[in-house]
Amino acid sequence: MPSALEGVSVLDLTHCIAGPYCTRLLAGFGADVLKVEPPGGERGRRMAPFFQDEPGPDASLPFAYLNVGKRSLTLNLKSEEGRDILRSLLSETDMLVENFAPRVMPSLGLDYPALKEIAPHLVMVSISNFGQTGPYRDYKATDIVEYAMGGLMYIFGAYDREPLKHAFNQAQFKAGTDAASAALMALYHQRMTGQGQHVDVSIQEAVASGLRDVVNNYTYTGAIRRRQPNHSGDMQRIRATADGFLLPNPGLGSGLNWDSYVEFLGLPELDDDRFRTPSARLVNAEELGRILDEFFIRQDKYEMFYDSHERRFIFGIIQSPEEALNDPQFAHRGYFEEVMHPEMGNLKFPGAPFIMESTPWQTGGAAPSVCQDNAEVLGGSLGLNAFQLTKLRAQGIV
Amino acid sequence: MDSPHHGNGRGGRNDAGGGGPLRGVRVVEMGQLIAIPFAMKLLADMGAQVIRLESTGRLESYRSDSVYQNEIHGEFWNRGANFYEQNRNKLGITLDLSRPEGLELLRRLIAVSDVFAENFTPRVIRNFGLEYGDLRRIKPDIIMVSSTGYGFSGPWANFGATGPATEGASGLAFTTGYADGPPVMAEIPYVDYTAGEHTVFAVMAALMSRLKNGQGQFIDVSQTQAAAATIPEALLDFSANGRAPTRIGNADPAMAPHGCYPCAGDDRWIVIAVSDDAEWRALCRVLGQESWSTDGRYVGVTGRQRHKEDLDQMLGGATAQWEAHSLMSALQAAGVPAGAVLDSKDLLFDPHLRDRGFYEVVRHHPSTGMPPLPYASRPWKLSETPAVSPRAAPLMGEHNDFVLKNLLGLTADEVVRLEEEGIIGYAPTDPRPVQRPSLDEQVRQGRMLRYETNFQAQVAAAFPPPKEMAQ
Repeated sequence: MPSALEGVSVLDLTHCIAGPYCTRLLAGFGADVLKVEPPGGERGRRMAPFFQDEPGPDASLPFAYLNVGKRSLTLNLKSEEGRDILRSLLSETDMLVENFAPRVMPSLGLDYPALKEIAPHLVMVSISNFGQTGPYRDYKATDIVEYAMGGLMYIFGAYDREPLKHAFNQAQFKAGTDAASAALMALYHQRMTGQGQHVDVSIQEAVASGLRDVVNNYTYTGAIRRRQPNHSGDMQRIRATADGFLLPNPGLGSGLNWDSYVEFLGLPELDDDRFRTPSARLVNAEELGRILDEFFIRQDKYEMFYDSHERRFIFGIIQSPEEALNDPQFAHRGYFEEVMHPEMGNLKFPGAPFIMESTPWQTGGAAPSVCQDNAEVLGGSLGLNAFQLTKLRAQGIV
Repeated sequence: MDSPHHGNGRGGRNDAGGGGPLRGVRVVEMGQLIAIPFAMKLLADMGAQVIRLESTGRLESYRSDSVYQNEIHGEFWNRGANFYEQNRNKLGITLDLSRPEGLELLRRLIAVSDVFAENFTPRVIRNFGLEYGDLRRIKPDIIMVSSTGYGFSGPWANFGATGPATEGASGLAFTTGYADGPPVMAEIPYVDYTAGEHTVFAVMAALMSRLKNGQGQFIDVSQTQAAAATIPEALLDFSANGRAPTRIGNADPAMAPHGCYPCAGDDRWIVIAVSDDAEWRALCRVLGQESWSTDGRYVGVTGRQRHKEDLDQMLGGATAQWEAHSLMSALQAAGVPAGAVLDSKDLLFDPHLRDRGFYEVVRHHPSTGMPPLPYASRPWKLSETPAVSPRAAPLMGEHNDFVLKNLLGLTADEVVRLEEEGIIGYAPTDPRPVQRPSLDEQVRQGRMLRYETNFQAQVAAAFPPPKEMAQ
C-alpha cells in the first residue's frame, strides 16, 4: 500500500529525543529520512537504558526505537567540506529538521536565511528548549526544566510534597510531535506554492500550550491552581485496589446517574444528598474520598474495570509496562511491533501511534549503525568516486 | 505575531489578516472536551475553517464547569473557561442529531467539507450512521478522524475513557510518582493532549496524501497508543531487559543532583538538573558551597548518585535561602540547567513568553460581559504563514445562520423553521450549571494556592487588546 508521506525527503540533523521522535513519525508514514550524524554518532546513542545494561553505540534502547526506518550519514559539519556536502544535498530535500541550541546553526553558517538562498523551497524545522528568540533563548534545559517552566510541574504532585514531573521525557516527545505537525503544515504550503519557510518549535511552549484551564483559572477568577487537594474526594483520582491501582471514574460531569453508580458499587452510604450532585460532591469531597478509598482497597482491578464498562461507567486501569505489553486491546490492534536489530536481536516496541487505513504505518528497518549509509548516499546521490570518499574519510569529514 | 525571521514578505503575507497554511481546508468537528477540540483548534489557528458541532440537548461539560468569575447565572454556558480554551477560531453550530433532519444537515455539511473529526465511542458513531463507509458515499475524498480512548476496533473499543484513564492504560501513570509512593498523574487530562498532538499530525499526513492521490481515508487514533509511543524507555526496558520500572519521583538515572528544591516564599520551588562535574562545580560556586565540589564523595555522576539523598537534603537547605527566579538566573548564567517552577500567574506574566507573544488576546462577544483575555497560543511559529488573528470560541449556535445559509444554501425562512422545531438552537434545553465551591473553600482544600481580587486590572494592564480590535 502507498504511504502518506511517500516522496517527502527529510535531512535529519537531530539528536536525543525531540528531533528524532519528529522524524520517526515522518519516517513511519513513508518519508525518506536521512539522519546526519557527527563522526562517532549523535549523543542519543548514549541514552540509557541499554540492551542488557551494556552501553555501546548500537545498544541504546531509546535510540533503537527513535531511529527506526532511517538511513544514516556521518558528516563533520564543523568542516567546510562537510557543510558543502550538506548544502549539495539540499536541492533534493524538502525538509531539514534540527534541534541544536539556537546558536549552533548560525555559527555554522547554516541558519535559515543562508539555507533559503540555496534552497527557497526548503522547510527548515528548528526545535529548541525555549524557541529561537526571547530572553531564555540560550538557557540550558532538560525535561525537568521544561516541566517547571512550562507550568505543568507546579500543578503536578501530592498536596504536601514537592512538585513532580512525569517519568522519562514527556516534554521532548510533546515537542517532537508538535514539530512533525508544524513541519507538515509548512510542507503543505510548500506543495501549494513552492515556498519554503522556517518553523520555530519551543519545548517550553509545547508544555505550556496543554494546560487546560490552569492559566484561565487566574484570568477568569484570580485563583492560582495548585497540586492535588488535601483529600482524595475527586472522582478522577487513582485509588489502590487489593492488587494494584484503578481509576474509578464513573462518568463525566452532570450526565452521571448517581443512583445507578451507587447501586453498581453496592455502597448504600453513598445514597445520600451530600454526594448526589457534582456541586455537592465538591463540597463533601473529603468524606466521599474516605468512603471510596475503603471500598476499592478490597477490589480486584481488572474485574472492576471490565464490570464498570458493562454498565457504561468509564473506569480506567493503571497498567504496568508488562501489563500494557500483554493487554488484549493492544494485541488485537497489533500495536507492538518487532524489529530485528543486528546487535540486539528482536526488539519489541510501540508501532503506529494511530492507524491510517489507506496509507498505513511502515515498520521500517532497524535504527542505523553509525555511518551505515555513507557510501550509498555519497557515492549514489552525490556521485562521489571511491577516491573522493577515501579522502573525505581520511580528513575526518565523514 | 512576531516571527523569528526576516522573510521578504512575499507569499503568505498577501493573505490579509494572516491566512495560515491551511486556508481552504474545511473541517466539521463533532468533538467534546479536549482530544479532538484541542487538535482542531490548532488546525483552525493555522487557517482551516473548523465548524464545531454542538448539541443543545446534551450540554458539553466544558461550557459549564469553570465559568467566568464563577457566576452561573444568565447564559453561563457562553462563559466557560474550558470551552474558550479549546475552541478558538472555530465557527459554532448546533444540530439535534436525534432528529432525521438534523442528521441530514450534518451529512450535507460533511459533503462540502474536507475533514470530519469526532471523539465519541464507535457505538455512538455507528448509531448515527456516521462511520467512514457512510461518509465516503456522500463525500468520496473525505478524511475522517476518530479519536477514542483505546481505538475504534478491538475488545475495548466501546469503553469510554478520559485522559487519566488512558494515562493509566498506557503505562505512563504506573511509572510516575514519588519513590515508594502510588502512581501520580497530572491535575489535567494529560494524555488528551498527547493524543491531540498526534491527531494534528495524522490529519496533516492525510492532507499531504490527498494532495498527491486525491483520496481521503479513515484515521483511527487510539489515545492510549499515542501515549504509549512516548514511553519507549519503560516499555523497552521491560521487553528487552525484563526490568519492571520503579517510581523514582524527580530523580534521573543519568543525572545527579536532579530534582525540585524549595525556595524562599510560599510554595516556591526550583528544579536543577546536573549532568556532569562542570555543572556540579558551577552549582556549588553559585550557592557559595565550594567545599561540596571538592568533597570526594560527590565527584562524578556515580558518586553523586550514590549520595543523592544527602545531596538533595543539603541542596534544599541552600536553595531555600534564594528567591526562585534569582537563583534560576544565577544558575543559568553559570551554565547550570535550572528553572523556577512557574505557577499559572508566573507563566502568564513570564517575560520570555511575553517576548514571544505566546499568550494571545482574544475579544469575547459583548453579550458575555467578559473583557478581552489572553489565551495560550501554540508551540510553533511559521515564518511565512503565521497563524490567523485570534477569534474567540463561538457562542452556542453563533454561526448557525452563516453556515446553514452560506454553506448549505438554506433560506432565512428555513433557518427560522429549524429553530422553531428545535433542530437548531442557541441555548441548552436542560441547563445544569456546576456550582463550584467558593474560592476560600478551594484554597482550604488545597486545590488553589491563593486568589487575588485585583486580577482583572493586572491582566488588562499586561494584555491590552490589539489595536485593530479596539472598538
